[in-house]
Amino acid sequence: MAAASGYYRPGASWLHRRNPVTKLLALLLVVVAAFLLPPISLPVLLALLVVLAATCGLAGAVARTLRIPALLLISILLVNAFFFPGATNRIAGVGPFWITSEGLAFGLNAAGRLIVAFVASVLFLQTTLADDLLETLISRGVSYRISFVVLAAVQMVPRLQERAGSILEAQQARGLAISGSFRVRLRALVPLIGPVLLGSLIDVRERTFALEARGFGALPGRTAYRRVADPPLDRVLRPLLLLAMLGVVAVALFGLPRF
Amino acid sequence: MNVDWLQICAEGQTDGCIASIQLAYLGILVVGAVLLLIIALRSRDLSTATLALMPVAIAINIAIGSIIYALRLPIYLDSVGTVLVGALAGPWAGALTGLLSNLIWSLLPIPGGAGPTSAFFAPVAAVIGLMAGFWAGRGVFRLRTDDSRVGQFLALAAGVGAAGLALIIVQNTIGLPELFPDNADQTNTNQATFVLIGIGIALIGVVVAWLSGRTVFRFEPEDPRIQSYLSGATAIAAFILVFAILRLLFSPSGYFSTVTGVNADGTPDGFLGGANLSGLALSDPAGLFGVGVVALIVAAGAFIWARRGDNARFFPVWVGGFTTGLVAAAISAPIAAGVFGGVTGGGTDALVAIFRTLGLNVFQSAFAQGLTSDPLDKTISYTVVFAILLAMPMTVRTMFSRGDSTIAD
Amino acid sequence: MSEAAAAGNEAAGGGEVPAGTGLRIESASVRYPGRREPALIDCSAVVGHGEVVGVAGPTNAGKSTLPLLAAGFIPRVVRAKVGGAVLVDGTSVVGTRASAVAGRVGIVFATPANQLSASKLTVREELAFGLENLGLPRAEMDPRIDQLLARLRIEHLADREPFSLSGGEQQRVAIASIVAMGTGVLVLDEPTAQLDPAGTREIAVLLGELARSGTAILCAEHDPIVLGGTVRCLLLDGGRLVIEDLPGAALGSAVLAARGLATPTLVRLAEAAGLPPALVFDEAAITVALRRGRATAANAATGATPTSPSPPGTGLTAAEWRPAADRPGPAVSIEGLVHRYPNGIEAVRGVDLSIRAGESVAIIGQNGSGKTTLIKHFNGLLRPTGGRVLLDGVDIAARPVNQLAATVGFVFQNPDDQLFERSVERELAFGPRNLRLGQAVATRNINAALAATGLTADRATNPYDLNVSARKLVALGGVLAMDPSLLVLDEPTAGQDDRGIARIGAILAALAGAGRTIVAITHDMEFAARTFGRIIVMRGGRVIADGPPQQIFAASGADLLASAGLEPPPAARIGARLGMDPVPLDADELLSRLS
Repeated sequence: MAAASGYYRPGASWLHRRNPVTKLLALLLVVVAAFLLPPISLPVLLALLVVLAATCGLAGAVARTLRIPALLLISILLVNAFFFPGATNRIAGVGPFWITSEGLAFGLNAAGRLIVAFVASVLFLQTTLADDLLETLISRGVSYRISFVVLAAVQMVPRLQERAGSILEAQQARGLAISGSFRVRLRALVPLIGPVLLGSLIDVRERTFALEARGFGALPGRTAYRRVADPPLDRVLRPLLLLAMLGVVAVALFGLPRF
Repeated sequence: MNVDWLQICAEGQTDGCIASIQLAYLGILVVGAVLLLIIALRSRDLSTATLALMPVAIAINIAIGSIIYALRLPIYLDSVGTVLVGALAGPWAGALTGLLSNLIWSLLPIPGGAGPTSAFFAPVAAVIGLMAGFWAGRGVFRLRTDDSRVGQFLALAAGVGAAGLALIIVQNTIGLPELFPDNADQTNTNQATFVLIGIGIALIGVVVAWLSGRTVFRFEPEDPRIQSYLSGATAIAAFILVFAILRLLFSPSGYFSTVTGVNADGTPDGFLGGANLSGLALSDPAGLFGVGVVALIVAAGAFIWARRGDNARFFPVWVGGFTTGLVAAAISAPIAAGVFGGVTGGGTDALVAIFRTLGLNVFQSAFAQGLTSDPLDKTISYTVVFAILLAMPMTVRTMFSRGDSTIAD
Repeated sequence: MSEAAAAGNEAAGGGEVPAGTGLRIESASVRYPGRREPALIDCSAVVGHGEVVGVAGPTNAGKSTLPLLAAGFIPRVVRAKVGGAVLVDGTSVVGTRASAVAGRVGIVFATPANQLSASKLTVREELAFGLENLGLPRAEMDPRIDQLLARLRIEHLADREPFSLSGGEQQRVAIASIVAMGTGVLVLDEPTAQLDPAGTREIAVLLGELARSGTAILCAEHDPIVLGGTVRCLLLDGGRLVIEDLPGAALGSAVLAARGLATPTLVRLAEAAGLPPALVFDEAAITVALRRGRATAANAATGATPTSPSPPGTGLTAAEWRPAADRPGPAVSIEGLVHRYPNGIEAVRGVDLSIRAGESVAIIGQNGSGKTTLIKHFNGLLRPTGGRVLLDGVDIAARPVNQLAATVGFVFQNPDDQLFERSVERELAFGPRNLRLGQAVATRNINAALAATGLTADRATNPYDLNVSARKLVALGGVLAMDPSLLVLDEPTAGQDDRGIARIGAILAALAGAGRTIVAITHDMEFAARTFGRIIVMRGGRVIADGPPQQIFAASGADLLASAGLEPPPAARIGARLGMDPVPLDADELLSRLS
């Protein structure tokens, strides 16, 4: 990912050195486990992730990213705790608003799953370059044209934001007011968004030409310049992770085997 | 039709069966897998222009979505780019754009849309792209008030309207059978009847659409009736919308009648501090008449507005957006319910809370919230795309396979 | 095949340049859908390996269509009806699949940032992009890339992020990524339009080097520096090929004046000196010839020059539009201005400047010298990190940008950052509406602005349906409609053809005549010399020279200008060599002083 956007943090930790597909499988395993296994598995998974992050020196970085889903998590907890339908077991309350134990349990479960999925994803993203990930996926059959779209989109987002900044300046220089009443701000939307949209869409013409001029998609066999490491450890890990995933699904469907 | 083998849970049953919501997940999964396959196949044929457009469209989705999020409005507006690609390059390109947008947004620490959870809603975004391509292919952005293809569109609308009317008549006369009746023996009969009635209604809609398309709505180009018919359709749609909403709120058994300050078991209701709003539930026939009059006034205003200049062009655009919003709501509800207990952290959560207090369960309140904001959101998105297509220079538009046909000059 | 091309093939090394007949265009015609006029009518041209052939002409003459056609983009990527034949090394590129074109012919456009794939993290990978698409084996990629980095002298950029480079650097990377594919034919469409003079010179030199190593190059340009280095030049007008000859002849006054176009200064001087077309761009030869006194009044070229305030075809005379003279421009005072960006870069490092009311000032300097940062302080877009900015003695630090817009009109370099309305007229009405000027005043201003910019006939057109030079005029018109007393312009003439430049010059003259204050950044030294009474030179965030054009462009200042990456205009250069003092600022002045 470009330096300005994305979670990626350069480093040389154990996780950084793993092949992207291995890490992707591990991420999927954690998410599948979080959603399929009973709620008791959530704190276990979270603890595992924290330990993993700590061994890579990323514990602090991961913790800092938690502010992003913070609002969502709190929302889930509150809305479910207070407004869970069909709940009768009241725990505590203020005035006309009561927390119910069913609601709380549901909310904790939902929020817990999300935290686990989020932390696992962030850990993955902080140790994996999108370009590396996509290159390995391409070598496994993903269309390189789709990969191009993803990488270009990621680079385009900060550029669009920059452009929005220049447009903001340009329109203000024509007297456009951008602070004040809601009505003022609403009327400023069109002169700001219009040029952003139209300008970037017009550029599409020249960008198409640039791609065509570089033979994009012209010939069937595309080779790769970027080399992504695939250490021997990963080749052992991947089948193991796949097995683990199957195991989790089996446990979820049929319950733990009785001895 | 015996569906016992599916073992769908009856009301209150929790063990040894599949809850209806899990059926919904399964359905989404299967349909999603099929769609993914088709998208993957079709993506091999994407032109370079489309591949150059898609990153820009994805960035537009994220840029606008994050602005709206910052303004804390109860809409998302994160599908403008998706709809645009659907209109210019076809449904499958649009679907791919939506899919990738959501996946990418999950990977970027930019607030808005559904934030880090956007990836879960990727199927919704894909379907939005599909429908945008479909509607654009039907000409919603192109239909000028002198274009004879309006007739097909009106016929479609008439078919849907007829089907809806048939449904209401059936419901109010013989009544729709309970899918999961208390008497378990009747399940098969009821389900069979349900399916038969459904097929019948659909048939009525199709016949009406086909017939009217050949007769009443058969136009020559530049037929002056087109404008009036479109304006009429706008007025009728406005009437139905306003009437339905007001009845939902103010009818004797509508929303306000349930806010009595007292729960079903006699305990005081916590909502709004125990206020009793049941007085707002107007009794018939005065209530019916009043609601009807208000709806008529709004419809008349809509008619007058639609007759001015080219305003009637917006009607098909809004129909496209509205229906896309309905479908989006239907698909995102189970996802929201299952993944995060029906809450997405945006301005729409207040709506969810309200619906919960009405007694809707997690799934239903997520659906209801979606129903309230998604159609509006998608209608606005379609309108924005319409404006963009109008302003886009021809040199850019003609680079895409549908660039010419998607909008009139 | 010529000897030069054969030798070039030997020198090519890693991007294998195939032997072949080069680019052949035979009786080509192009008509875009929905346009009344065809874009190209019966054009023919041949570019052999080792040759650089230029394409000149006013905008809308087909100058952009010919490169697209030569690169095989029409009708495959750009829909249009094509007649005639286009062959690259014997293979047709019209109506063929992309695979027939890939690796044989490449094209470079004007906007550097749009040429990047936007999907690679380093310049090295960017250069590999084309190689990946061609399916080149991985083992062969690195040697090729290394060689290319050396050839184009961009080794120091190898690990940089493409978007972080300057425009000139990006353009070199763009050209490199095409050359990397070993294309035998390279086509360029206005590659220097957005570059500063140093960047333009580098591109001109680069094209020559590429040609010497065997590439066949077709370059559509307006800049005389680049065109002067071509072996032949095509002149297009209205889609037809008017003449194909040495650049000195194709750009000669006999051809251009008859079409109401301005002749480049060097060409006029060379013709006045009686030089043959081959030597027209050779400054030393011109100097020698003029010194020997061969210039006579009879030899001096007649016809339209950019100096006349109302060149034929612009439809604007000084009498048609006069801004009101009752709004004198403010005096601008900059005291110790320092500006440091959040990323730590100090773009302006202490500038003291005093501009009198009603003065016209040009600011020149290389990209990165702090010019744009400086002028953005005039209307509050940037606030000083240190120092003050005063308008008529009042510090503007506290006044918001949109309030200052009532006094200061700012014309940005990229018009697409401002245009969003669906007609030119509505676009022009945006500013007056924001300023609450009232319906009557607004209408009057809008009509005046439309007349001044020559857009009255296009008032209902969508700005994005006009070409980019017309859009720049729309943006200018939008500011004129606000009737500012201080006008600030950022590169007003970039990308404009001669008619456009003349029109802008006339507008500025009219404003100056009405007592308004004008400040403009420009890369066009001739435009600066003839339009402004005072020139400020910036380098490294500081003002290093300040005075009238004669002083700045004098022989004694040449070293200073060179240190800022600039050169005096051609007439001043030749005049300095002839020992004239003060230096002449344009061809007319030089010739009249000789005779």
